[in-house]
Amino acid sequence: MNLSKTGKRCESITGLKTTIPLAFKMVFPNPVYIAIAAGVFTTFWIIFNVFDQLLFFSPVVTFYLPDDALAGFIITNITSALMGILVAMNVYVIRNSKIKLDSSLFSGSILGIASSACASCSSIGFLIISTLGGFGILATDFLTNYQTPLRLVSIAILLWALYSVHNKIIKPCIFTLPNNKATKNYNFITSWARAATRKRRKYVI
Amino acid sequence: MIERKPNNYTINRKIRKSMLAYIIIASLLSTALLYSFSHSSNLQSNYKQFYAFAQAQNLSLSNLIKEGQPHQGSNTAPVTLIDFSDLQCPECKRFVGNTEPQINSTYVQAGKVALIFEHLPNRGFDSLPAALAAQCTNDQGKFWQYYNLLYKNQGPIDSGWASKDNLKKFASQVPGLDIQKFNSCFDSQKYKPFVESNLALAHSLGFTQTPSFVIVKSDGSNPQQLLGPQPFPEFKAMIDKELGVNS
Repeated sequence: MNLSKTGKRCESITGLKTTIPLAFKMVFPNPVYIAIAAGVFTTFWIIFNVFDQLLFFSPVVTFYLPDDALAGFIITNITSALMGILVAMNVYVIRNSKIKLDSSLFSGSILGIASSACASCSSIGFLIISTLGGFGILATDFLTNYQTPLRLVSIAILLWALYSVHNKIIKPCIFTLPNNKATKNYNFITSWARAATRKRRKYVI
Repeated sequence: MIERKPNNYTINRKIRKSMLAYIIIASLLSTALLYSFSHSSNLQSNYKQFYAFAQAQNLSLSNLIKEGQPHQGSNTAPVTLIDFSDLQCPECKRFVGNTEPQINSTYVQAGKVALIFEHLPNRGFDSLPAALAAQCTNDQGKFWQYYNLLYKNQGPIDSGWASKDNLKKFASQVPGLDIQKFNSCFDSQKYKPFVESNLALAHSLGFTQTPSFVIVKSDGSNPQQLLGPQPFPEFKAMIDKELGVNS
């Protein structure tokens, strides 16, 4: 029992090692997707660093990274990179299949932006406080004090979204069920496909 | 492998889905982009307004000292750097830890710049008590020791590190501070109108983020603003401009 569990786990890890690069190879040779990923990464990189008060546009464009902001900077870079990759991959999925977009991309992105936007002593934090009063203070306090864990959660959600979207890219044999409802259960789809193939063979024979 | 040819309905759904996804992604990106750029362009377009307000206020060094603002440096320094900060703000701590020491050693110690502190307590519930306590220490000439002590011990916003009891405890750690006088000043909220007037000044100048700075000649003329805990070269460029030094 234990052996079979370990075997399964090993199989899935080996699978990810090959399937994720495969998904990248399918999407990124196309310069359009590289451009989308680069554009999204750059946009969010700017936004995160403006919110974190590391990038300034006035009086001149300045980027400043003190030691105390290094950890946050690394996390926001990872978030921006994941967002770039995910948006590009989701656009690929939308253009090449009939599958719905994964909501985890949006939840991960929104959490990432929210934890940055309200966390700093920036004017957007003040806007929230002045709009929502005491509740706004509580909200910004929470987002400021738990900024790093929230950003890590956002990375975890984005990684899940990456796993999910790579599944959709590398498994192109997705069937529309007879009642026209898309299903997320791959096992169900494959078993249905196997049964259909068997039935077909039977007719051929 | 079984392949199913998409019918018109499926194609339409696919197009609709793609359009919806593109719209969501585009609106997310454009909102974020718009915010970051409009924020900076607003600052520039509001600069004239800031300039007019700052000129209307008497921001001369002598007046600020007379009003009782905490200050350090020479009373005859040609340039004044006014710092609008919240003692609970992490970015203000970043400024105090990284940029302020360089400004201090380069300009304040040399008698070229006077540093003035204005309270902008808008980050949390404990920000106002912290500002009141700090202003009370100024009565006894201990503001800057207390200010450094608070920033050194700064914790997460409203986590209790700046509770009334802790503020009194920090005051008792300042050498030479008469704690009875401090407690009486702090408990009576003597400086509440003073801190509120600082806050009103900050808002009239359009400052909502902390730290925000005004760099001005000692007579209150030619005010310039600097927003955020920017690095030393940015301050140096603006201060040198006010001093008439070509860097």
